[in-house]
Amino acid sequence: MLIPRRVKHRKQHHPSRSGAAKGGTQIAFGDFGIQALEPAYVTNRQIEAARIAMTRHIKRGGKVWINIYPDRPLTKKPAETRMGSGKGSPEWWVANVKPGRILFELAGVDESLAREAMRRAMHKLPMKCRFVVREGGV
Amino acid sequence: MAEIKLAAEPRTEFGKGAARRIRRDNKIPAVLYGHGGDPVHVTLPGHESMLALRQTNVLLNIDVDGKGQLAVAKDVQRDPVKNTIEHIDLQVVRAGEKITVDIAVNIVGESAPGTIHLVEEQTLSVEAEATHLPESVDVSIEGLESGSQIHAEDVALPTGSTLLTDPKAVVVLVTEPRGEAGDDDESAASAESPAEASSEG
Repeated sequence: MLIPRRVKHRKQHHPSRSGAAKGGTQIAFGDFGIQALEPAYVTNRQIEAARIAMTRHIKRGGKVWINIYPDRPLTKKPAETRMGSGKGSPEWWVANVKPGRILFELAGVDESLAREAMRRAMHKLPMKCRFVVREGGV
Repeated sequence: MAEIKLAAEPRTEFGKGAARRIRRDNKIPAVLYGHGGDPVHVTLPGHESMLALRQTNVLLNIDVDGKGQLAVAKDVQRDPVKNTIEHIDLQVVRAGEKITVDIAVNIVGESAPGTIHLVEEQTLSVEAEATHLPESVDVSIEGLESGSQIHAEDVALPTGSTLLTDPKAVVVLVTEPRGEAGDDDESAASAESPAEASSEG
């Protein structure tokens, strides 16, 4: 599972969820991709589940790229704890995904297989997504 | 490739308010520059521009106040979700002039059974005559065995084009697929992060 090796601050504020993606909105490496249509925090477990769903479906062949990284910690206070006594302990690692962001890319398989593999991966993700194909042109 | 004529209107008001008004009227704000002249801010028809830009490296004839100018799209800003065109940068060109463009790599054929091909360079940078810009270049991988590589210098470019990409750059790599992917104990490192992928390319 993806986890930062070392962080400057163990507990951070919640990342901003407003706005659209500024970069990473075009397919850069593969031929097919999953594009986010809504903002969401994607946890490292969800990224891993989506990757496994995709790679299991394509079996042999193909190459997968993960374009997001869960570098933001979210904290949680234990259950049945009174308020106060400081911030809770880090519980999840999330990627702050904004609409338009390409999350995964895939190459080396035909379109129908890629579409089905990515459909399965999308079921593991917490927001609406769509399947996109590389386009030529400027 | 034939040029596509677009009627443009000069633009006098600027800023996001003006640009949004233009877009609401189904038009696209654009800028025309090049050859050391002052940039000309124009408004292009939305639908016609969108259809024209579906083609790669299309040559446009921009008609501003009855004066036609040849141009190519240097940059197109799109809405990441709706994919609508928000702004176009047009570079003025002259007939016979050589300009630098990126052309798509189009893979043809099938590599040897049991192998997969990976396109390391999706586009090649070439210098070509503005009025005869190539759209794409075909790269044949027919029958290539695992471990084969096609370098940029090996690609047969369209006539009149000169390669600007590093000639030693690997364009296509034929490799064997990894074992049954997706095992539970397989780390996420098997799926490369973009940083790793870019360092390879």
